[in-house]
Amino acid sequence: MIRRLTLASMLIASFALPSAVLAQAPGWAKIRVGVEANYPPFSQMGTDGKFSGFDIDIANAICAEIKAECTLVSQEWDGMMPALNAKKFDMIVASMSITPERKKSADFSDSYYDIPSAWIGKTGSLKEVNATTLKGKKIIVTRNTPRAKFVQEHFKDSEVLLVAKEAEVTMELAAGRGDIGFGSSLAATAAFLKSPEGKGYSKLGAPITLGGAKDGGGVGIAMRKGEDSLLAKVNAALKTITANGVYKTINDKYFDVNIRGE
Amino acid sequence: MVLYGYLPAILEGLVLTLQVSALSLAIACVFGLIGASAKLSASRAARWSAEVYTTVIRGMPELVLMLLIFYGGQIGINMLAESQGWPYIDVPPFAAGVLTIGFIFGAYLTETFRGAILAVPKGQAEAGLAFAMSRTTVMRRIVLPQMVRHAIPGFANNWLIMIKASALVSIIGLDDMVHRAGLAAATTRAPFTFYMAVAMIYLTLTSVSIFLLSRLEARYSLGVKRVDF
Repeated sequence: MIRRLTLASMLIASFALPSAVLAQAPGWAKIRVGVEANYPPFSQMGTDGKFSGFDIDIANAICAEIKAECTLVSQEWDGMMPALNAKKFDMIVASMSITPERKKSADFSDSYYDIPSAWIGKTGSLKEVNATTLKGKKIIVTRNTPRAKFVQEHFKDSEVLLVAKEAEVTMELAAGRGDIGFGSSLAATAAFLKSPEGKGYSKLGAPITLGGAKDGGGVGIAMRKGEDSLLAKVNAALKTITANGVYKTINDKYFDVNIRGE
Repeated sequence: MVLYGYLPAILEGLVLTLQVSALSLAIACVFGLIGASAKLSASRAARWSAEVYTTVIRGMPELVLMLLIFYGGQIGINMLAESQGWPYIDVPPFAAGVLTIGFIFGAYLTETFRGAILAVPKGQAEAGLAFAMSRTTVMRRIVLPQMVRHAIPGFANNWLIMIKASALVSIIGLDDMVHRAGLAAATTRAPFTFYMAVAMIYLTLTSVSIFLLSRLEARYSLGVKRVDF
């Protein structure tokens, strides 16, 4: 009987309804941040199941700066925007590039980093990378990204293999399912080229900057439209951590170049 | 290092997978029994609603239903809360996931239970009624114990499918075993290792389930002679 009661109370407790979260005061004392862990070294999962990486550190630094109590909410990349707009969290710190399409469904902070994209493939397989040399070849790129759009618009005679996560670009490449990968120049090189599987691969052609920070591109923090008080706080915090060296400390922890891109 | 040191993280995910599966099963059984009774009831309204339930739910992909309930439901609740001036109400992913999976598999179990109830000879229930038992007593003491034997094979099938379908909850932000394995694979770039490990864990879970359910079936088949063709 007792066991039955416990089971029943467990059942009730788990549905006992949607925990009501206090209405968000304009002060933003509590913020929920959407993050993911598929983009080393920007975001990854440690052996303890906890997330870490450049994005996670930046999110925590911003929260510390605006004195908010932040909860990191894990969300797969494909559901980021819907979850933001369903108020599952208040901002996205997940290496999201600022694009005109995304600006229609969310507001973005100033860019917090900006790195060019790079081609990656078998060493010496191509001298130059352009629409002619890639004709009939298969390009691997992450879907729902400016890179995917770029490839689909400029390489109409090439096949495109769209993958769900950035880490899969190099996985698919190593598995031989495409001829060339197009990804972030740092994430692609840092993780893959240094690993044993990355042997025999290298960057091909010149890096490409897609809508850099100066043209309103780069990578930003997404927030729901109209949350202007949060947007102002985040932008101010970004300025402060860049000025006081916190940003540089985080940057140097992961990269040997400055990726701030201002 | 076992699995690059990610074994504890994967096992934590396994706990969530088991919780989701077990609670979903409990809910699915409730929906299944209600659905089966409705389908066999004398009331036309009950029969029709059960028919709509099984037709619609069995006809839609689990993934689509899950997204509809989790995101669509949340947006609906937000709109309601705003119009009433309530604070933001969060639909917890765990409850949403368990309810959705339970609701979906309840539709399959409805059919399993309905078939099993029909397989109990009518004379049994009639005899119970002749002894002045109430309808609920007949159901509880005569029909249900005898229908279990017929229900187990279909029930086992549904349970096996459900354990694996529980991986769907990862799309709504729950950190189950498959999600953990996916992240570990992305971090270490060793997909084969992690997905193989997860496949083995699922295989162990299902094998144990099959063994236990066959013992249960044997228990409920006492007094029934096995026919060999």
